[in-house]
Amino acid sequence: MSDQSHAPTDHDLAPGEEEQHSVGTRILGYVVGLALALLLTATSFFIAGTDLVWQPSIPVALIVLAIAQMGVHLVFFLHITTGPDNTNNVLALAFGLLVVFLVVGGTVWIMAHLNANMPPMDQIMRMQ
Amino acid sequence: MLGKLDWSAIPFDQPIPLIAGAVVLVAILAVLTWVVVKGHLPYLWSEWITSVDHKRIGVMYILLASVMLLRGGSDAIMMRIQQAVAYQSQGYLPPEHYNQIFSAHGTIMIFFVAMPFVIGLMNLIVPLQLGVRDVAFPTLNSVGFWLTATGALLVNLSLVVGEFARTGWLAFPPLSELSYSPGVGVDYYAWSLQISGVGTLVAGINLVTTVLKLRTKGMNYLRMPMFCWTTLASNLLIVAAFPILTATLAMLLLDRYLGFHFFTNEAGGNVMMFMNLIWAWGHPEVYILVLPAFGIFSEVVSTFSGKALFGYRSMVLATMAICVISFMVWLHHFFTMGAGPDVNAIFGIASMIIAIPTGVKIYNWLFTMYGGRIRFATPMLWSVGFMVTFIVGGLTGVLLAVPPADFMLHNSMFLVAHFHNVIIGGVLFGAFAGFEYWFPKAFGFRLDERWGKLAFWFTFLGFFITFVPLYIAGMLGMTRRMQHYDVAAWRPWMIVAAIGMAVLTIGVICQIVQIVVSIRNREALRDRTGDPWDGRSLEWATSSPPPVFNFAFNPDVRGEDAYWDMKARAQQQSLERDRPEYQDIEMPRNSPTGFVCAFFATIMGFALIWHIWWMVILGGLGAWATFVVFAWRDHDEYVIPAEEVAAIDRVNLEERRDLVSMAGTV
Amino acid sequence: MAMTATAGHAHADPHHIGVVIEHPGPASKRIVTAYGFWIFLLSDIVMFSCFFAAYAVLSGQTAGGPKGSEIFEQRNVAIETVCLLLSSFTCGMASIAADVRNRFWFYLGMTVTCVLGLIFLVIEFREFADLVARGYGPSRSAFLTAFFSLVGCHGLHVSAGVLWLLTMMAQVFAKGFRADVLRRIMCFALFWHALDIVWVGVFSVVYLLGSAA
Ligand code: HEM
Ligand SMILES: [Cu+2]
Repeated sequence: MSDQSHAPTDHDLAPGEEEQHSVGTRILGYVVGLALALLLTATSFFIAGTDLVWQPSIPVALIVLAIAQMGVHLVFFLHITTGPDNTNNVLALAFGLLVVFLVVGGTVWIMAHLNANMPPMDQIMRMQ
Repeated sequence: MLGKLDWSAIPFDQPIPLIAGAVVLVAILAVLTWVVVKGHLPYLWSEWITSVDHKRIGVMYILLASVMLLRGGSDAIMMRIQQAVAYQSQGYLPPEHYNQIFSAHGTIMIFFVAMPFVIGLMNLIVPLQLGVRDVAFPTLNSVGFWLTATGALLVNLSLVVGEFARTGWLAFPPLSELSYSPGVGVDYYAWSLQISGVGTLVAGINLVTTVLKLRTKGMNYLRMPMFCWTTLASNLLIVAAFPILTATLAMLLLDRYLGFHFFTNEAGGNVMMFMNLIWAWGHPEVYILVLPAFGIFSEVVSTFSGKALFGYRSMVLATMAICVISFMVWLHHFFTMGAGPDVNAIFGIASMIIAIPTGVKIYNWLFTMYGGRIRFATPMLWSVGFMVTFIVGGLTGVLLAVPPADFMLHNSMFLVAHFHNVIIGGVLFGAFAGFEYWFPKAFGFRLDERWGKLAFWFTFLGFFITFVPLYIAGMLGMTRRMQHYDVAAWRPWMIVAAIGMAVLTIGVICQIVQIVVSIRNREALRDRTGDPWDGRSLEWATSSPPPVFNFAFNPDVRGEDAYWDMKARAQQQSLERDRPEYQDIEMPRNSPTGFVCAFFATIMGFALIWHIWWMVILGGLGAWATFVVFAWRDHDEYVIPAEEVAAIDRVNLEERRDLVSMAGTV
Repeated sequence: MAMTATAGHAHADPHHIGVVIEHPGPASKRIVTAYGFWIFLLSDIVMFSCFFAAYAVLSGQTAGGPKGSEIFEQRNVAIETVCLLLSSFTCGMASIAADVRNRFWFYLGMTVTCVLGLIFLVIEFREFADLVARGYGPSRSAFLTAFFSLVGCHGLHVSAGVLWLLTMMAQVFAKGFRADVLRRIMCFALFWHALDIVWVGVFSVVYLLGSAA
């Protein structure tokens, strides 16, 4: 399985690989990514500490910002784009995300119900 | 210096494990001495232990699984005897020993029999079916195998040094917490699973990458044999689910070693979170096991019916549907633990839905057989036996998935019967079918059919005699994991089950005899063409056993059932003559990385179990250093010259030419 | 890339519907390696998600101990975050340097990445040590258990990353930019960037949500 034995024709991209760009373009990509990431981070920290916004919206805003920032990282640092060559990488990512979503969401949902119906030992103690 | 380890760790007062341990030790020493004296050690080292050839690794996986099957089977026999005699008495196994046995039985059967068996078959066959020369990461493949072996070794070590867990195969807290299980049993359990879990994850990554990225020319997704599809699905599940097991066991270990409070009763810990997480792994796990078996049955049924698989695309769809839905049903394992009606209802419905794609598969196999010219060779017998058995197991599963019914049946012998019904009737029958079917490919000669058929019939009957009584005992209210009982109505069923176990054991013995007899008669059973069953997929397009490089030329695939197609075309045009020039082939070099790494992992695991901290550090450093040394080597491939390739290939072509002129038409 | 289509069809079918694109054969080693590592990263993220889930479930269980808002220091977290973000950037620079075979910029990029990683680890370690010293160790409550495990798990990954990074630098020093070394550098970069993504989750869910609540 050596590199030479494979036809160079395949249009596959490795995860993290960029399509052929000049060094300048690539550096620019990282600069933009870094700037966006810092901006989103700053916004998160600002929102978490401020009294200026409606308080109940803060958790939602933080989650949204976090997801946005993860997206920025994926696109600018890990170079997972949705171009046709990247389908396989993105599909794997989608499967991973689905599982993460199911596990975290499922756990939170299930455990909330269990806690409501059958609280852990020390909570029962406290209720008595 | 040695942590918790001292002489009291050796159970001098318990004859059974001690004698068993001694026998195994003597056996191992005898084999080792024989190997050394006969001068086989260099061969073993260079051709097997350090081999990175996927076929060799696959064979070693299967060997490991077979040996562990005997160990797990002994546990099973002991338990069946205990329950047959322990009516209003203590039987012959004291409770703490009985508890260790059922825990070890479950752990071994799932992690060290079923898993290595299916992973071994996938390793052995998938690259061949895809028409490529090796898996994506050959050396890591070897690391994965040896780490699995490490886990198995540690579990068996617990027999003579210390003890095994008494907590069942999933070590539920709070019983498995330090306050209730202060011994090393749970630590043996957890660390062997952590280490072998790394091995499994490596195998999963390797096979997913192999299927997705290493296919021969023209092997489009929708031309892959069914076994490759189920391999893909199963390994995607490994990659997605095993980290959950790793995390959950890590949490348990943190509780035990560092006083954390994930699952404790104190300080806000939550036992149910263990249930939740472990089953989030546990349900996908059962499909990790059974999906490859489904793939095997698909291959076998279509080969022995002489027809293409019926509804190939629906089969692919069903496989991928199972892959996703299996992540949405895990709560059915704890319906009774307080989730409430809405949650239970949703997970109950999801569990029933997963039976639909499974049913689709059954119909596809039936329609594949319909109108075919069926040959009832041993692999086909296992497949038909599977269909009958698995339908029962699947239906009882659906029954259990109805929450109100589950409130009656949960943790009863009915449940025990259900999962043995699907795991034996599905996974084990599948493994045996695959074993019989691909044995000639791996070793170059067929297995004896007469003994194979005997083995099937004894196992098949033995299975029903053992497990139908368990269904009945469950309905009579018998719960699982009972060391003794006082209810007269259960007794007869336990006795019948013990008889069934005896019949099953005869089946296993037949299988051993079959192997011995076949090795003796190997010249008569020789498979010269490489295509003993008139097969349809590419593994049959090369010699048996295949050369290291599998194929002299990467096959060019034009449709489904690639090899069948080639045979048909070859017959029409006698194409085999105009072969292009042979070329040099580069293959990965052997490497002791896997073995050495597992050696250090064993040291580390053992040290962790016994709290020998300096040794933990030593093992960790050793494992890291092994990888660095591996990364430092300069030549990772060697070249097989074109003449050698040509010489090897021509021999096989000669044999095959006669065959080709006859086959391909039905 | 070979396209097989019934000849007549191809013209009447400008969007190539009904055209079977023949699979071109095994992918190159670089793609195979990176893809395998990508799959590994996804599995690692699933593992992290379990610790996140555990944190979500246990974060309210303080058992009379401190709440998140009482022990988190936003300033430290902000510094940690900036360190990691910058290190992701420098790691990117190092991979570009490796691709154009420029040793100087590669070493520089990796060194800065390593230093930033170490600063992050030191800050985290001091935070942990300080909490333990105040009696707020992981055994204090389920909340602290979940907190220490989640954050510590990320910290362990960063430590492993630093070890890997140093190994890679040594390897480039000894072997130069060989094909297999380049593949490993690519995997390392993926690993390092992925850890950043996890950290985004950590600081948002643990620190910021925790102190907001
Ligand atoms: C047709 C689809 C299936 C359904 C609807 C189903 C349903 C269930 C349910 C509801 C339980 C929990 C019962 C209880 O604890 O009270 C269960 C347990 C179990 N099932 Fe299945 N099942 C199915 C197929 C399978 C397959 C294919 C396998 C393995 C290859 C399997 C292996 C197991 C195991 C190992 C357990 C119990 C483990 C334990 O509690 O120790 N099941 N099943
Ligand atoms: Cu299940």
